[in-house]
Amino acid sequence: MKPKLAPISKACPKIRGPILEINSLRKVFHINGSSLTVLDGIDFSVNKGEMICILGRSGCGKSTLLKMLAGFLSPSSGEILLNGKPVADPGPDRCVVFQEDTLFPWLTVKENIAFGLKGRTRDKKAFDEEVERFLSLVGLSEFTNYLPREISGGMKQRVALARVLILKPEVLLMDEPFASLDAQTREEMQNFLLSLWENLSHTIIFVTHDVTEAVTLADRILVMSKDPGRIREEIRVDLPRPRKREKSDFLFFSRKLYERLRE
Amino acid sequence: MMEKENNSIHNSVFALLPWVIPAVFMLTWIIVSETRLIPTYLLPHPVEIGKAGYTYIFRNPGDAPFAGRFLNDAGASLIRVCSGFAAAVILGIPLGIISGRLASVRKLMSTTINALRAVPGISWLPLAMIWFGIGIKTTVFLIALAAFFPIYLNSAAGARQINPLLLQAGAMMGVNRLRGTFAILLPGAMPHIMTGLRLGLGISWAYLVLGELTGVPNGLGAVIMDARMLGRIDIIVVGIIIIAVMGRAGDQLLKTSLRFCFKSARRMA
Ligand SMILES: Nc1ncnc2c1ncn2[C@@H]1O[C@H](COP(=O)(O)OP(=O)(O)O)[C@@H](O)[C@H]1O
Ligand SMILES: [Mg+2]
Repeated sequence: MKPKLAPISKACPKIRGPILEINSLRKVFHINGSSLTVLDGIDFSVNKGEMICILGRSGCGKSTLLKMLAGFLSPSSGEILLNGKPVADPGPDRCVVFQEDTLFPWLTVKENIAFGLKGRTRDKKAFDEEVERFLSLVGLSEFTNYLPREISGGMKQRVALARVLILKPEVLLMDEPFASLDAQTREEMQNFLLSLWENLSHTIIFVTHDVTEAVTLADRILVMSKDPGRIREEIRVDLPRPRKREKSDFLFFSRKLYERLRE
Repeated sequence: MMEKENNSIHNSVFALLPWVIPAVFMLTWIIVSETRLIPTYLLPHPVEIGKAGYTYIFRNPGDAPFAGRFLNDAGASLIRVCSGFAAAVILGIPLGIISGRLASVRKLMSTTINALRAVPGISWLPLAMIWFGIGIKTTVFLIALAAFFPIYLNSAAGARQINPLLLQAGAMMGVNRLRGTFAILLPGAMPHIMTGLRLGLGISWAYLVLGELTGVPNGLGAVIMDARMLGRIDIIVVGIIIIAVMGRAGDQLLKTSLRFCFKSARRMA
C-alpha cells in the first residue's frame, strides 16, 4: 500500500525569520511536596518550513516540552511565541501527532479525518472534497469506512497525520509518532512524512530518541540532556536530500552523533 | 470445507443456547405437574397457566375475574416504568458524566450516593407512601430512585475512564467544551452508559412491582397482589411471566434503539 501524493497548492511563500520562538522555558513538576525540575532554560527558534528534530534519551523531558508547545501544559516560566504571540491553550494552529493511538475508536477513517474540519465550512461540497483529498493524500481512499481497530498501526498514524494536516496547522508537533511501529513500517512512514513535507512545506517539530530517525528527517537536530533537561547542542544536518540510510556519509554522520550522545 | 460445516452447526447450536434453560425449566414443570409431585395449589399445571393467561389477555372484561385486564394493566405499568426510568436517565447521565470528569463533584457526591445506595428500596416505600400517597407518584418515585444509581455510577465510570489523550486531541483540533462533550465524552463513555441504562431499566421493573403492591387499582404488580388476595396462583404466575417477557423485550428494545441512534453504541459495545 503506497501512499500517493495529490498535488497541493503551496502554502504561502517562505517568510524568513522564526515562526516559533522559545525563550528560557522552564518546567517544574510538584509531586507531593517535592519538586522536580524537568526542563531548565530551553531556548530555540524554528523557521517557517523547517524540519526540526528534538533528540534525547527517554525521560529527558521531550514530551513535556512538546506538551507545552501544544498548550497542554503551561510553563513554570519562560515564553513560547508563535508568530510573535504567546501560546496559551491548545489550538489547531499547533497540532500534535501522538505516539499512542488517539483516533476516535467510534469513528471511521474518513470520519476521523473530517472531525476537526466539522463546523468550519458551510459548503458541504467543499468539505467533502477536502476530506477526500486528504484521504487520498495519505493513501487511505480504499479504507474510508474502516474503523481504527481494523487497520494497521502505520495506517493509524497516517490517519492521525491527515486529521491534523487538514486543519493547516502553522506548526506540526510529532511526539515519537513512529516509535511503536515495526522497523520497516517506521522507515516507510519516515519517507512518507518527508514526501509530505517536501510537497506541503509544513513546519515540523519531531521528537525522537532514535538517532537514525533524526538524521533521516531533520534540517536541524536539537540534542537534549537530562536532569535537568536542556538543549545541549544544536546540530545542522547538511546531508543532501533524499538521504540514503546506507550511504557512507549518512552512516558517518549518525555514528558521530551517536558517539556525541554517549559522552 | 469441513471447518465451514462445523461452524454452521456450531452457529445454530449457539443460536439455540438462550432457550435451553427455559426449555428445561418448562419440561421439568410439565413433569412435576403431570406426576403431581407438586400439588396444583402450589404450582398449577402449565395448561392452566395458559388458560388463565388467555383469559387475562384476550377475553372481554366482565366475562370472568381478571378477564381482559391485560391492556389496561400493561399500559399503566409501562407508563410508570417509562416515567421513572426517564427521570433516572435525565438526572443520572448528566450528573454521572459531570462527577466522572470533576474530582470535586465526585468528592461532593460520593458519600451521599453510597449511603443512599445502601438503603434497600423497600425501606423507601413507607416514606414514599406518606409523601406521595398511593398511586403513580409513589411508584414513579421508587423506580426513579432505584434506576438512578446504576445509571449514575456507570456514566461516572465511563466518563472517568476516557483516554485523556482523546480529549487532548479534541482540544488541539479546536473542539470547544460543548462539542467535546457530545462528540468525545459521551461516545467515549457509551459502553459504560449503555451498561448503566440496561441495569437501570431492569431494576425499574423490579421496583415497579414493589410500587404497585401498595394497592393501586391497576398495573402488573397490582394484578399479582389482587390475585394473591383471591388465591389465584395461576394469575400470579401469568403476571410474573408477563413481567419477565416485557422486561426482556424492553432490554432488547433499549439496546437496539441505542445502537440505531448512536455510532458509538453500534461500533464499540
Ligand atoms: N505530569 C507529570 N508530573 C510529574 N512528573 C512528570 C510529569 N510528566 C512528566 N514527568 C517527569 O518528567 C520527566 C520527563 O518526562 P517526559 O517529558 O515524558 O520525557 P520523554 O518524553 O523525554 O521521555 C520524567 O522524569 C517524568 O517522570
Ligand atoms: Mg516521551
